[in-house]
Amino acid sequence: MKFRAVREGLLLVALACLPAVGEGVYFRDKISWQSPIPASELVTVDQARSWGDGAIWVDARPDEEFAREHVPGAVSLNEDHWNELLPQFLPNWSPGKKVVVYCSAESCNAARDVAKRLRDEAQLTDVFVLQGGWEEWLKKKK
Amino acid sequence: MKTSILTLTLSIFLCVAARAELKWEQNVIDLHPALGDKTAVAHFKYQNTGTTPVHFKSVRASCGCTTTQSQKEVVNPGEKGEIVATFNIGDRTGQQMKTVSVQTDDPNPSQANIVLTLKATIPQALEVKPAVLYWQSGEEPKPKKISVKASKDFPGKNITVKSNSLNFESKVEPGSGSGEWTIEVMPKDTTHPMGSALVVQSDYPKEGPKSFSVTVQITNPPGAPAAPVAIPSASPAGGVKH
Repeated sequence: MKFRAVREGLLLVALACLPAVGEGVYFRDKISWQSPIPASELVTVDQARSWGDGAIWVDARPDEEFAREHVPGAVSLNEDHWNELLPQFLPNWSPGKKVVVYCSAESCNAARDVAKRLRDEAQLTDVFVLQGGWEEWLKKKK
Repeated sequence: MKTSILTLTLSIFLCVAARAELKWEQNVIDLHPALGDKTAVAHFKYQNTGTTPVHFKSVRASCGCTTTQSQKEVVNPGEKGEIVATFNIGDRTGQQMKTVSVQTDDPNPSQANIVLTLKATIPQALEVKPAVLYWQSGEEPKPKKISVKASKDFPGKNITVKSNSLNFESKVEPGSGSGEWTIEVMPKDTTHPMGSALVVQSDYPKEGPKSFSVTVQITNPPGAPAAPVAIPSASPAGGVKH
C-alpha cells in the first residue's frame, strides 16, 4: 500500500516536470545565460518619456541601425566604437541627468553592457536600461 | 495480431535506426585574443554520427558583432564540418559572451536546436577611470584625480596628457605599482560652464600610440537650463586614435 502511494507520488512529480522539460527544450536558444538586469536598473518607455529633457537617450545598437532610425535626440554609443563615441556623448551629460540606454529588443545585451561601462568607466549614476528596447519604443510610438 | 506486433516492432526499429545526429566537439569555446587583435574566431566542429542527412535551417548569432559561416547546408552521414563564428571585438574589453543558435531538421528537438557559446576575454591596454571629471559652476576649483592602469601585457612605459584648454591644468604622477599612474586635474576657473578633452596617450606603439580621451567640464549649475557644454575636439580624428 505504502509502495503504491510512493510510486503514484513519483509518477505525479514526473508528470508535473514534463511541461518544464518541454519548455526548456523549446526555448533552448532563448535562454539568457547572463544574470537578469536588476529591476532598479530598468526603466519602461513611459517612465523614460516622462523624464523629458531630464534624460539623455543612448542608442547602443550598431552604427548602421542607428543611422537607419533612432529615438529622436538619441546619441549613438556602442561598443564597436566606444573610444570614439564616448567623448562625443559626455558633453551632453550633466549631473542629475538620467541616462536611458537601449538596444534592439529585450533579448539583446548591448544596452546592458553599455550601461555597465557608463557606470564603471565614466562613473555616471542614474543609468538605466530601456525595457524592451527599440522594439518596445516603436510599439509605444504607434 | 502477430503481423501488427511485427509491424510495430519494425516501425520502432526503423525510427530508431534512421536517425540524424550532429555531434559537436565543443558547444562552448573560450578564446583569449591578444592585445590589439581585431577579431576572435571560434571553430565549432561537428560530425553527423547518424544514418540520415542533416540540413541546417538557420545559423544565427546573438549580436551584430558576430558573424557566422557555415560550410555546408547538408551534412551527410559520417561527414564532418564546422561553423566559424567571428566576433568583431571593436572597443569591447573584459569578459564577453556571444551565442550562435543553430537550427537543423533533426527530428529530436534537443538536437535540432543547439546553442553554441563563444566566450572571449579581451585585454584592455589602458584602463582610464573615470572617463569624465566635472565641477559644478561656482564650485571650489579643487584638483580631482584620474587613475590610469596598464594591462600586464602592455609594453608601454609612460603616459602623457594633453589638453585643448588653458583652463585645465593636469599633472601625471606614478601610481603605487608599475604601469599605474595618477593624473591630477585642476580647473583655473569654475565660474562659467565650459569643457575640455584631455588626451591620455601612451608611448606604445611608437607609430600611432594608444590614446584615450577624458572629458573634463564645468557643468551648468543645478536647475539651470540643460544645455550641453561645448567641448572642443581633442584631436583631428575627434578624440581617440588606435
